Amino acid sequence: MTLAPELTDVHAIVEQVWSSFLGDEEPLLPAYDADTAFPAENAWSSAVSIHGGWTGTVTIELSKNLAFSLTRLMMAMDESEPLDDAEVADAVGELVNMVGGNIKSLMPGPSALTLPVVAAGRAAHSSDLREVSRFDARWSGEPVRVSVHSPS
Amino acid sequence: MSKILVADDSKVMRQIVVRTLRQAGYGGHDIVEAENGRDCLEKALAEKPDLILSDWNMPEMNGIDCLAALRGSGSTIPFGFVTSEGSEDMRARAKSTGAVFLIAKPFTAETFQEHLAGLI
Repeated sequence: MTLAPELTDVHAIVEQVWSSFLGDEEPLLPAYDADTAFPAENAWSSAVSIHGGWTGTVTIELSKNLAFSLTRLMMAMDESEPLDDAEVADAVGELVNMVGGNIKSLMPGPSALTLPVVAAGRAAHSSDLREVSRFDARWSGEPVRVSVHSPS
Repeated sequence: MSKILVADDSKVMRQIVVRTLRQAGYGGHDIVEAENGRDCLEKALAEKPDLILSDWNMPEMNGIDCLAALRGSGSTIPFGFVTSEGSEDMRARAKSTGAVFLIAKPFTAETFQEHLAGLI
């Protein structure tokens, strides 16, 4: 059996990261019915890998609107200020870095965490990995998915 | 005026750390930013800050190697990690290398107040 983080732990970590850096004004609403492929159009994604006592990949996929909104919030910018892709990649990468780092701390160690990889598009996975945990949610009506993959 | 060096490869996170310092009551200090461990080491030696807040996982040179190099140079500047990872082995490694604390992200202004009290 593959060792995997509990969904409740993934949920709690995402909630904590979200409320700390994006505030509580707009709640992150779990979307338990989202048992479908993440919409590929206008998606952004980020991933970190963990190697060592436990091996796996943590990915965050989110809509472009959400990626831009959270970047503005994290950078304390208002809607009128222009954003470039590097700023969005930085913010989306830092989100997965925090979620992945906290998941790493829950799993057997010692292990190492890679630097985040960010893409304008859906996350790609190595063929030897399978999804072991997934948390779907909506924020301001926009979708976000956090997935954990581990070797099968 | 006291000086705080903030090292993180993420510009977004450096902004958040600086904002949190302000919220925690440390807004009156000079802030110097570094974008990786090597940059942090160079600025620590050149600028002689009163406190260093550093990420762990960074390109060029990571935070723990930066701290080891800094202590190897004889510097005793208080050094704390602000990082996404807070496992027991990393906390032990941070402490044995000379860090005064390790704050795991996400954090709040209260977390900063708790760890920075008495240091600056």
